[in-house]
Amino acid sequence: MTKLLITEVTRMGPAFCVIGLQRENQKIHSVRPVSPNTNGWMDFPHQRGDILQCELTPFPGAKPHIEDRVSTRGFQKDSTVSELETVTYLRKAEIAHSMRELFGCPVHANKSGSGLYAIPGEATRSICGTETRNLRLEFYANELRATLVLSSGEVLRDLPLVDRDWRDFIDAALSESRGANRLGRLERFLNSQFHYKILSCPHHFIRLGLTRPYREVCWLMLDTLFPLPKLEWLEEF
Amino acid sequence: MTSAEDAIRWRKLVEDSFRREIGTQGALTDSHADLIETGVLDSMGWVSFLRTLESVSGVNELGALLTNVPPTLENIFSALQDARFSADTSDAKVLKANPSTRPSDVLITHSSAALGSRIIPSAQVDLAFGMPEGKLRKRAGIESLAYAADGENELILGARAAQQVLHDAGGPVQELDWIIVTSETHRGYPSLAAQLHSQLLARETCGALDVGGACLGLLNGLAVAQGLIVSRQARIIVVVTADVHSRLLTPGRVAGEFGGLFGDGASAFLLRAEVGAEVRAKMPQEDSFGAQHSYRLGEFLFGCVGQYAGAIRIADAPEGQLALHFDGEALSRAAVTRMEKVILDLESRSGFPRSSLQGLATHQPNPRLVALLAKQCGLAADKFPVVAQTFGNLGSSTCGVALDSILRATQTLSIEQRRPIFLASLGPGLLFGGAWLELQRG
Repeated sequence: MTKLLITEVTRMGPAFCVIGLQRENQKIHSVRPVSPNTNGWMDFPHQRGDILQCELTPFPGAKPHIEDRVSTRGFQKDSTVSELETVTYLRKAEIAHSMRELFGCPVHANKSGSGLYAIPGEATRSICGTETRNLRLEFYANELRATLVLSSGEVLRDLPLVDRDWRDFIDAALSESRGANRLGRLERFLNSQFHYKILSCPHHFIRLGLTRPYREVCWLMLDTLFPLPKLEWLEEF
Repeated sequence: MTSAEDAIRWRKLVEDSFRREIGTQGALTDSHADLIETGVLDSMGWVSFLRTLESVSGVNELGALLTNVPPTLENIFSALQDARFSADTSDAKVLKANPSTRPSDVLITHSSAALGSRIIPSAQVDLAFGMPEGKLRKRAGIESLAYAADGENELILGARAAQQVLHDAGGPVQELDWIIVTSETHRGYPSLAAQLHSQLLARETCGALDVGGACLGLLNGLAVAQGLIVSRQARIIVVVTADVHSRLLTPGRVAGEFGGLFGDGASAFLLRAEVGAEVRAKMPQEDSFGAQHSYRLGEFLFGCVGQYAGAIRIADAPEGQLALHFDGEALSRAAVTRMEKVILDLESRSGFPRSSLQGLATHQPNPRLVALLAKQCGLAADKFPVVAQTFGNLGSSTCGVALDSILRATQTLSIEQRRPIFLASLGPGLLFGGAWLELQRG
């Protein structure tokens, strides 16, 4: 049995992708449990910070998704740690201070429009944590995008935010029951209170990930953004 | 441009940008189809397509206009039309309130270049930096470098170029409203613009302005000059670049693979508001500048690709040393990719296909990259004037010397034979910019 601290639950389309931390020989590293048939989970009832008991077997996944492990049994919840503690563990796992270090390879800008990508054969991993100097979220043509500055001063633009909790928060903010001018209110929140709440938080931390190869490239995504959103923030705008 | 022509132009911009995203062979989809639901684009492609469109149309925040509507081409046409209508309306209000603010065309009437007097074979520079003889030629394609002689510096080279354009224009320096200067090597005060003001003996009320941007400096300077003229703050401006790298990037301070690429030079351009023939005839004495060239400045595009900020960094270090971080491979890749993108955007925005150009005055980090850029763009190498191969990378003056070279070459051509010119450059950051020059109207 393996103990796994759930650190990421991401959502793109209908499926969820799950990543956790595993301690092995005093080292903490990321592991992505996948079902025997697909890379994603159509249902994942657990939360970030949950420590789950599971059965994982190595999986001959193609680079850069070397963290993939096949989950051969269901997950059983063991305990839960706080958000602060989760970030403390994440800071001990894969971490980078510059764009080049993120996935152990050059990161390329999309030639035609926006977005950043890595070449599957060049990248040596598909998930990494990092600190940011600044971060902005934007709701652009119905898509949630993040732009951020790494501690090295390098800027990453137009990253899709796939963090399940943040996406749920944005969906809730735009739900019809919240009255008029929802989009304008959300934009004002993202440009003001959000910025303060995120950047002033002592455990502000992000994890970036790579998509599965698509047309021979893996796009960069903002997998996780700490602190996680709180439902009471919805009352502020 | 009539509204019908305008609509056709916008539609073409959308179609060109869409094809850039899906591949040139892709067929245009039904304009009412939902691009994401039908699987034509995924969400990454949708945002990427809109960002391209923002860049080539000059309409920012297109995303805000497309929120809460399905992602269709028809909705994009409509959003662009709305953005255009609102810009037209606000322009009309300004013009009605104050007709004197009507924008003028800005002409580049004269140009000049000045290079360091010593032409040094690159093999000699190899040895000075302790590199194997022939490295700069073989690796970067540099045959020789222009180095400043004793007594030459940014002020001397810049003044030489500026005095040449003033001489060619035949006009007294007292008519200048602004001297705009850029240099990536000049340090200290008074600033280079202030020193040039004194050196040229401009009138006391002529402004002197230094602009930054390193190798992008010329485009920054031209854009500022255009703004001052269009807003009627100025009528005649000289824009000067001047760089002397050979005293800054010396052996022992930086590695030869970096320092060995650079030479010394300057350029100058005289800009003025275009006045109509009738006005010119009525006030022949108002200014005495004639025109050597017949090009007017088109639009500019600028930006900063921060993900390459770490590729080149230079800072002062203790004991007079320079702390240099130079990731040549990453920078080369980024430079070619971004300049190609700038050229593509200029092509879309101006409506001038690259095949129709007189030439391209671009930054030239080294001759190998110029050759690669030409190949990537499908252009003949001779569309790019030879600058870095003979004189080295001249910093902000590379683009200036290249532009002067193209402009001078057009002087032997009849007006009908002259073609538009593209400018494209980069600076650390990674800053980028582009502009075009087209023939004077009428």
